[in-house]
Amino acid sequence: MTSMRREAPAGLRRAIQFRFGYAALLLSLLLAVLALAVGGRAARAEAAPALVTPAEMQSGALLFRANEKGRYVEAPRLGTDVDLSVSGPTARAHVTQVFQNPTDRWVEAVYVYPLPEDGAVDTLKMVVGDRVITGDIAAREEARRTYEAAKQAGQTAGLVEEERPNLFTTSVANVGPGETVLIQIEYQESVHQSGDRFSLRVPLVVAPRYNPAPVTQGVDFKPGQGGWGQTTTDPVPDRDRITPLVLDPRDDAPVNPVTLTVRLQAGFPLGEVVSANHAVDIETQGPDSRVITMKGPVPANRDFELSWSPAAGAAPSVGLFRETVAGEDYLLAFVTPPVLPQAEDKRPRDVVFVIDNSGSMGGASMDQAKASLLYALGRLSPADRFNVVRFDDTLDVLFPDVVPADAEHLGTATSFVSGLEASGGTEMVPAMKAALSDRGTGGAPRLRQVVFLTDGAIGNEQQLFDTIAAMRGRSRVFMVGIGSAPNTFLMSRAAELGRGTFTQIGAPDQVEARMRALFEKLESPVVTNLSARFSAGGADATPETLPDLYRGEPVVLAAKLASLSGTIEVKGMIGDRPWIVTLPVAQAAEGEGLSKLWARRKIADAEVAQTLGQIDAEQADQRILALALRHHLVTRLTSLVAVDRTPRRPDGATLSRNDIPLDLPAGWDFDKVFGAKPKPEFREAALLLPATARTDAPTAADKPVPVEEVVLPQTATDAELRIMTGLLLLLAGLAAFAFGRRSMGGRA
Amino acid sequence: MNAILPLSHPLAGPNLPRQPRQRQPKSRLVALLLVLAGLVLAGQGVWIHAKAMLAQLLLDRAFAETLATGRAVKPWPWADTWPVARIELPRLGESAVALAGASGQALAFGPGHVPDTPEAGDPGTAVYAAHRDTHFRILREVKPGDEIDVIRRDGRRVAFKVTGTRVALWDVSGIDPRAPGRNLVLATCWPFDATTHGPYRYLVEAEVISPAKAVPPGPLVAEAATGPRR
Repeated sequence: MTSMRREAPAGLRRAIQFRFGYAALLLSLLLAVLALAVGGRAARAEAAPALVTPAEMQSGALLFRANEKGRYVEAPRLGTDVDLSVSGPTARAHVTQVFQNPTDRWVEAVYVYPLPEDGAVDTLKMVVGDRVITGDIAAREEARRTYEAAKQAGQTAGLVEEERPNLFTTSVANVGPGETVLIQIEYQESVHQSGDRFSLRVPLVVAPRYNPAPVTQGVDFKPGQGGWGQTTTDPVPDRDRITPLVLDPRDDAPVNPVTLTVRLQAGFPLGEVVSANHAVDIETQGPDSRVITMKGPVPANRDFELSWSPAAGAAPSVGLFRETVAGEDYLLAFVTPPVLPQAEDKRPRDVVFVIDNSGSMGGASMDQAKASLLYALGRLSPADRFNVVRFDDTLDVLFPDVVPADAEHLGTATSFVSGLEASGGTEMVPAMKAALSDRGTGGAPRLRQVVFLTDGAIGNEQQLFDTIAAMRGRSRVFMVGIGSAPNTFLMSRAAELGRGTFTQIGAPDQVEARMRALFEKLESPVVTNLSARFSAGGADATPETLPDLYRGEPVVLAAKLASLSGTIEVKGMIGDRPWIVTLPVAQAAEGEGLSKLWARRKIADAEVAQTLGQIDAEQADQRILALALRHHLVTRLTSLVAVDRTPRRPDGATLSRNDIPLDLPAGWDFDKVFGAKPKPEFREAALLLPATARTDAPTAADKPVPVEEVVLPQTATDAELRIMTGLLLLLAGLAAFAFGRRSMGGRA
Repeated sequence: MNAILPLSHPLAGPNLPRQPRQRQPKSRLVALLLVLAGLVLAGQGVWIHAKAMLAQLLLDRAFAETLATGRAVKPWPWADTWPVARIELPRLGESAVALAGASGQALAFGPGHVPDTPEAGDPGTAVYAAHRDTHFRILREVKPGDEIDVIRRDGRRVAFKVTGTRVALWDVSGIDPRAPGRNLVLATCWPFDATTHGPYRYLVEAEVISPAKAVPPGPLVAEAATGPRR
């Protein structure tokens, strides 16, 4: 009993002590969790400041964030009409954008849109009421100042700027309540030729691009919800279905309806005329002319692609066109080298396939890429060696080095490719580096080819170009653009730097034909050592050094001539046989817009020379600026600006800035592209997203150039928090320990 | 807690005399766990700082090589970024090697060059960001009129003069990467003494005072090789 009595208080004390120990532990853990949670919440809260329900909205409408936080405005409506006139080798496009202001306030509309990467934008017209104002070319900053001044002064003004060679922005200031302003831009481009196939591409949508840091994988693609991608849907948004805040394009009918007409004057009897992605009406007006109309206005969510081929036996192999502008003569020449019977020289090849399985490839694109790669694997011959690289924001190289294309290795590769799924970000540079890492041939001369399948949805193009320029060595890079809206600027420039070609695959039924054509190119001897000589001298030709050609490709040469006389001698080697063709300059046919095309190419040459380190940035800028101002072209250094000098917005009436939303490319899987973390390139694109999706602060660091201002990264660590919490826990632990010691000591 | 209480209850049963021996190790275990948890957490915090400092040593070496060879050099083989510039604050005797990109991973090692802003000294506004508790803690000491030197990867040294400092929201920074002139912005989180993440950024704005000059690579490499000046 006595022992019991003595024991009881000690037991009680221990009980208390024990409880205290647990309580301390729990308390500390709770504290730690709380601290971390608070940190996390703070990080999230800062990014979603505008989660406001716009309760004042009565019915469905597209709403966009206004400049003031938490305020929304109704989007200006936009329609686009594209009118293309093809005459022989060139096309002139009139793109008319209709900006309509549905609000009762003065607004500024900003629209980001794509154009062909080799298009030379030279004209801006603005129609306000019954006045037509023609834009002037000016250095970018100067144009911006003119525009801002007009905006402040209450004048209606239009500004066309280049963001990337294939991405432009139109801003229209001071569109009055209920008013409609027309903006028309014109550009010149050359028709693309490959074999007997002539083609033209009108990009209609800006794909939101990926920039570093991974996109979280979202929900799987739901096949039943592809409705927004169908071209036959009513373009006028079904506004009742649109809920104000959720702007996920799966739920929204796409905005920005587009109508398109092509007036085709091929210059030779036409055979087949095909529109790859859209339903069209084709009206025959003569043996060599057609009028192609896109059926119904369609949403701007997939690129328009038209291709035509000559009637049997009518394929031209030479084209020579000239134009005289301001006393100067310009020339455009096409020469298709003869196709020699399959050469005996079939050198074994080392082919590295690179496939993009990032989130932006989700949906149809991934299937097309896989089908293309599987087709390519099937085309390898036993003498070839190959390897496969896949990348998203991670990277896998299938074999340590190139391996012989035998049944076993092909089997491994096939199952590897079949198992790929789209998710994650697009870190293209490491993949390109891996593909270009060349460990030598081991004796025999082999061709080294890199076949790169991607949608090119990245914003850090220059980094990729630098990588190719630095590492290309003997490898040739063949870009295969996948999906409805690949970044063609990236593709064609990368192929140019990698001395390969760019193949476009926009729909599943194109996979086989296009990949076959690509493989014929890969297998056929290339036309090498090409050079052109102008007998009259004094010609400024572009490209300065002619690239190697693959099967079916023509030599394309643009030049400014000293005189319209003499000949052009084009020389090269087809396999090991010399090839010479002589063109009489005087017999060139009249062409249109050739000077613009020449200038556009000279500008691209300057950019490439800068990437290759041949000239420095300032030299490149000087060249580009001079060419652009002289030829009235929009470039990264020059913009077109039009100002209606009549002031219209009354003093005191405020101007609110509206952004035109973009449509996601058809076949894109919204969830996969954005996951929970949107990665749009521009604010305009971000506006498409549900506001709730814009929540992740740290990822904001990875956004590329926003149109207006830099978004700053998260620049605090939780080091201090961790140290403090840690020390607290440590103290609690030590205290518990000491308490235990004391109680033990007391008992002893 | 309920499951444990009966054991520790003073009247828990016949094995009472054995309780002290049984419980004593337990409370020690609890204390030990607490100490361990504390050490781990504090260790993580210290590691963030250690990483920031250690990485600068490696970055210094890589950047010296970049200056010597003119090529981007990865500081360690598995790095996903590379040094692009050295930012020096002559008055405060501080310097840090900046990295390409401003992802969270890059920022753990050094200031990041915010993508799609020009290189310091090129037309436009170059933006470098770093953590307020590591590399850019020093920004609180920077005053208008101070000089900021940036040595670019091409070896050119560009001098800037601080024109002012301000606080901005992370997504309404008011920084135009295409602004006229040649400008520099160093950005970090604000307030400096906060322990959690916040929406505010502290910006040090500067403009060029001397046009980019080619500096002979020799002395520069030697200077870069002397190691960080912290």
